[in-house]
Amino acid sequence: MLQNLVSLIDAIYGFASLEALFHVTWATVLGIVIGSLPGLTATMGVALMTTLTYKLPHDLAILVLICMYVGAIYGGSRTAILLNIPGTPASAATTLDGFPLAQSGQAGRAMGIATSGSVLGSIIGMVFLAILAPELADYALQFQSYEFFWLAIFGVVISGHLTALDDPIKGWIAGFLGLLVAMVGREAIHSFDRFSYGIVELTGGFNLIPAMVGAFGFAEVLSVMRRRAAKMVGKSNDSIIPKVGEVLKHWRTILRSGVIGTTIGIIPGVGEDIGAWVSYAAARRASKNKEEYGKGSIEGLMAAETGNSAAVPGALIPVLTLGIPGSAPAAVLLAAMLIHGIIPGPMIMFESPGFIQEVVAMVLFASLAILIFGLSLTRVLLFLLAVPREKLMPIVFVLCAVGSYAITNRLFDIWVMMGFGLAGYVLREMKYPMAPLVLGIILGKILDDNLRRSLVLTDGELLPLFTRPICAVIWIVTLATILMSIESIREPIKGVVRRFIPGSRSN
Amino acid sequence: MRPDTPDTMTKADFITGIVLVAFSTIVAVESWRMPRFENTNVNPYSVPGIVPGILSVIIMILGAVLIARSIYRGGHRLGWTSGTVKSTLTAPENKRLFFAVFLTVGYGGGLIGSAPYWLATFLFVFLFILIFDLQSSTTRARKTRVAIVGFVVAAVTSGLVTWVFTEAFLVTLP
Repeated sequence: MLQNLVSLIDAIYGFASLEALFHVTWATVLGIVIGSLPGLTATMGVALMTTLTYKLPHDLAILVLICMYVGAIYGGSRTAILLNIPGTPASAATTLDGFPLAQSGQAGRAMGIATSGSVLGSIIGMVFLAILAPELADYALQFQSYEFFWLAIFGVVISGHLTALDDPIKGWIAGFLGLLVAMVGREAIHSFDRFSYGIVELTGGFNLIPAMVGAFGFAEVLSVMRRRAAKMVGKSNDSIIPKVGEVLKHWRTILRSGVIGTTIGIIPGVGEDIGAWVSYAAARRASKNKEEYGKGSIEGLMAAETGNSAAVPGALIPVLTLGIPGSAPAAVLLAAMLIHGIIPGPMIMFESPGFIQEVVAMVLFASLAILIFGLSLTRVLLFLLAVPREKLMPIVFVLCAVGSYAITNRLFDIWVMMGFGLAGYVLREMKYPMAPLVLGIILGKILDDNLRRSLVLTDGELLPLFTRPICAVIWIVTLATILMSIESIREPIKGVVRRFIPGSRSN
Repeated sequence: MRPDTPDTMTKADFITGIVLVAFSTIVAVESWRMPRFENTNVNPYSVPGIVPGILSVIIMILGAVLIARSIYRGGHRLGWTSGTVKSTLTAPENKRLFFAVFLTVGYGGGLIGSAPYWLATFLFVFLFILIFDLQSSTTRARKTRVAIVGFVVAAVTSGLVTWVFTEAFLVTLP
């Protein structure tokens, strides 16, 4: 513990250089801008930035990406408050109370509260990251092939379920399609080229960054161009600087939302938007002023923003310790770490000692940067929000294309980006979530290697996959998630619960 | 209760289900055809086709559930007529989508690699702005302004991206 604290202080000291602070500044500001602009998401920003930073040293490149990630999740609140359009999906819950506040002439106050919530949420998540990640990495050393196989299945099922609550089957289809996409290319045990049909470029499988740039960047360009243009309706005249007393008054909401956001972030492939919604719902349930929610509740706004920002460091915990992303932007971050030679997973404490503490320090710098720039750049952001999509989207696509090309200098990767973009667009239009798909692409190799390894070790015996203690917990939770999403099973169970616990409600 | 007229999403689910079942069947067959290395005595549980085969069966089942659910809700009654197809294709939002796909795929799949990068990028950005911005321009003065702004944005984007990637990132652009 003490050693981790010393490493953290070292990491903070290491990033306190002019060069690092310069990168923190531009990456956070760019992140806030990208998050603010409807149609540009955090995932897209991190993916595009991965292609622009791959020549930097690994610590600075990851610093830039984390600042971009934290900045973009925070930046989405601006459009949510001023335009009633979430800049990123993570800010959808922010619109509920942020926009009514802006309509009543309190846009500045709303942005100040959103900034406070985001900063405090990031810091709460950061504390959990600092404490939990080394412990979890240590615990994960016990994991063998059997456990990793179930983690992959659990990740896809739970992510599919939580990102498509209205229709989980679509989330699962997206997740399993992602796993199938990962099967393309040379497999690890016999070096056989699967589904490559003599195409040399396919023997290495689909490169993750072009695939994600397509699914999140190009698909978003098409979505934005199809929609009618949104008009700028909000403006800010009152002060944006939050009052300390007003923030501290909501300390219970901040703590609760911070813990909930971090926990949701840890769950594979779920992410910041669910973190915000669950925090918002919990705050509403616990509130004495429920009737104010949806009409401009400061408490509701604080809960949503604390929840989504806390999910960012939360999503980094499984990335660093298990090599499994907690959200879609974290999936890109995972790919970026691999590009820079850092192999996240249980061995990270041995292979890259001090890296977890470096990431904690990066989150700290990013949180401080959103506090400073979030409060000081309001007018510049208002100006940028007025840039019409007709001028912005072709530039975004140019960056999608050149970024996909630049990593390996292959025109093939531009085709990959466009293929995933078009497929991603069609799937999104039909309400298939993208996060499980991306998670599936990352988990595919883990699933493939570990299932076959497990079966070889047990000579085809399936029982150990179900009876090992950690495996049993994971598969029971996975099965329960699937069963509880089937109405004809869920309702009788709820009936039984209601019979034994008379006070329980169905909602 | 089943609705009398299925919504668009239910119909889309029916078609998607069929596509998924067909696709996963092909994948299952291809997985089965992958080598099993019997002559080298490898463990049969390590063969390359086993995991894609299992995944294809799972997707096949999920696709079948999607079809069954859609049929139950009446999604198999597609009700396509030449009129509905035409109105869908000519809807303003779909026209914007087709233009965007045409321009982006034309740039990424055609222009890049066959023309110098800076020229390809300039042409793409300029045409994109021109086509989409001119739709909302009514007066001659406004159209001229759109063309000038488009030209400047395209030139700056093309120049800046080309310079950053070739000079700063040392990438050999196509």
